[in-house]
Amino acid sequence: MARLFKNGSIAKAGTPAPERVDVFVGDSGKIERVAPEIDAGEGVEVTDCSGCVLVPGMFDLHVHAREPGEEDKETIVTCGEAALHGGVTGVVLMPDTSPAIDSGNLVKSVHDLVAEAGLIPMLQAGCLTKGRGGEELAGFSGMVSRGVPMLTDSDRPVPSADLLRRCMEYARDFDVLVTSFCDTPSLTKCGVINEGQTSYQLGLPGAPAISQEIAIDRDLSLARYTKARLHIQQVSTKHGIDAIAVAKAEGVNVTCEVSPHHLLLTDVDIGDYNTAMKLNPPLRASEDCEALVEGLRNGTIDAIASDHAPHTQFEKSADFASAPFGATGLETAVLALYDRFIRSGDFGWDVLVQCYSNAPRKIVGLEPVSIAEGEKADFFVFDPSAGTTITAEYLTTKSPVTPFLGKTFSGAIKETVFSVG
Amino acid sequence: MNDLQPRKDLLDIESLTLEEIEYVLENAVPFKQLFQRSVKKVPTLRGKTVLNLFYEPSTRTSSSFEVAANRMSADVTNFTISASSVVKGESLLDTIETLQAMRSDYIVIRHQAAGVPGIVAKHTRASVINAGDGYHAHPTQALLDSMTFREVFPDYAGKRVAIVGDILHSRVARSTSTLFNKQGVELAVMGPGSLVPAGRHDFMTRLSSWEEVFDWKPDAVYLLRVQLERQEGQFFPSIGEYHRMYGMNAERLDKMRQLGAYLMHPGPVNRGVEITDEAMRYEKSLISTQVENGIAVRMAVLHWLKPQTEKK
Repeated sequence: MARLFKNGSIAKAGTPAPERVDVFVGDSGKIERVAPEIDAGEGVEVTDCSGCVLVPGMFDLHVHAREPGEEDKETIVTCGEAALHGGVTGVVLMPDTSPAIDSGNLVKSVHDLVAEAGLIPMLQAGCLTKGRGGEELAGFSGMVSRGVPMLTDSDRPVPSADLLRRCMEYARDFDVLVTSFCDTPSLTKCGVINEGQTSYQLGLPGAPAISQEIAIDRDLSLARYTKARLHIQQVSTKHGIDAIAVAKAEGVNVTCEVSPHHLLLTDVDIGDYNTAMKLNPPLRASEDCEALVEGLRNGTIDAIASDHAPHTQFEKSADFASAPFGATGLETAVLALYDRFIRSGDFGWDVLVQCYSNAPRKIVGLEPVSIAEGEKADFFVFDPSAGTTITAEYLTTKSPVTPFLGKTFSGAIKETVFSVG
Repeated sequence: MNDLQPRKDLLDIESLTLEEIEYVLENAVPFKQLFQRSVKKVPTLRGKTVLNLFYEPSTRTSSSFEVAANRMSADVTNFTISASSVVKGESLLDTIETLQAMRSDYIVIRHQAAGVPGIVAKHTRASVINAGDGYHAHPTQALLDSMTFREVFPDYAGKRVAIVGDILHSRVARSTSTLFNKQGVELAVMGPGSLVPAGRHDFMTRLSSWEEVFDWKPDAVYLLRVQLERQEGQFFPSIGEYHRMYGMNAERLDKMRQLGAYLMHPGPVNRGVEITDEAMRYEKSLISTQVENGIAVRMAVLHWLKPQTEKK
């Protein structure tokens, strides 16, 4: 049925304050008219969007859907539903499933599941090395022919600088994005929390910020040398951002992402061993957190990516050191970012649209989506006057493990308007 | 003293008020006096059960709790679970289920992972006493250290204690320094740079050698046990070098004598590493007093904590 969204405002990149407008979506799912005043005709469903913001669908570069292999944590279907619930209309799936996605056939098998689910585009990333083992190159051409948006060993750095150099050189001619998870395992060792005052007080082994910073330096040097295009995942450190800013100024072809968790939380929030706050990279100090927000504002950080990493409640109820790393993020990202930054005026809707919708799509070679005549309807309706309490019932993901469980955010996602095809 | 809120668990020192600390330490004194009598038992916990649950080998702490519970007339069950028989982490919730079924009133727990006593405490009606969790906390050790220090320094505020050794991996250093700091005792730390992380001890003076320690004029020196092997790698070149640089030897003992400083150690000691045989016989060593006070303090803790009443 055709639908008319009345009196909403459209968020877009480049303009901090959304403009008020009516949006008419035809039977075909296309936006047929955008105008200050549109009359509803016969058989048109009218949605009153007074006070609401219509926001282009988000695109998340970093999602673990856990299928195949760990369907008790999440599936393609529950992950896609969670994305839609959180205003996200496209994702990149990490290849650290079981088996790891390191061949064209495996990429195809996941894309078949995605097509069957029929929810949103979910692009399967491939591994850089076979089985994420960090020893041999995975079969790039097969994966590229099946449409992988990027190659990454997902949560594992390629241990050998030489091997990563070969990956970058080899990937150049395929024009596929090499993506690094930056960490120095010989420094991180068994660290489970940022090394600092909090790790000391809690008596937990710490992973120092330099673990990430050294790895970022290494990978930036390799990208500079090989002239490859590089994407750095989950930047969490001040000096890491500084190094990326310098490399960008020098013309190194690099992009990077940050998660809402690292923008909003620090290691102090772990409190009494809250395992929902056990993330990789770990939540850092407040100086790092401030530098990340500044990096987002000044454009050093290109993209927001949730690192949606579901685990079962049972796994997360272990002691802090034994519990797995990761928490879900698809359904809380927009809410948390609005509540903390947009509502308070730290930045406008334009930054969210740029960093969580336009830039991530561009990084993987997709066209940005916009709420404009002739475009496919791909947006969500956000009501700033409502509130949302994050409970297990609210969440669609299989995993209720989020640092924000029990928290009430200002604003609510009323619906996501999107259909595949 | 009477307006103390009842407390179920003893998990760390941070969360204790000075009143609670005072209450435990004052109660420990009459318990200690009991030890001079021929009958050392009191009937306080008759009919109650204490479960000693040790995931890490420990003869001292485990027997100290056992003796304390026996002297309170409680029934004690000892459980030592070797780490290798435990599937890491995963079995914790199952273990808690089992513990619930045993209907213990007090659970004394030592675990290699920080935070485990807190998890157990949340899931059981029993009072949980942390007997050491990872590098995190060892609150009864801190209480017995404070009791021992107060016996020789009734006016303890403003006195000085230098803690020497592996600060990084020591739950004793964390808990004892936190307690001393709450009581106004001045603190310093000294040890290998790789084991005394910079910027973590805002209330402690960082000293870098025995010379600096003695110049600081401590009233007591608290030696920590050196772990000879660590999974995370090497932190100092050799035991010999550690002993030469940071151990308590004859020459340093002379300086201790000149200063009139007391010597403390949480035990068990590595003779020839952090301390020589000779230093063990130092007339101002408080090491065996610490052991004795450990029983009194643990009795006072059992007396103080209140398990939740059992639901029918």
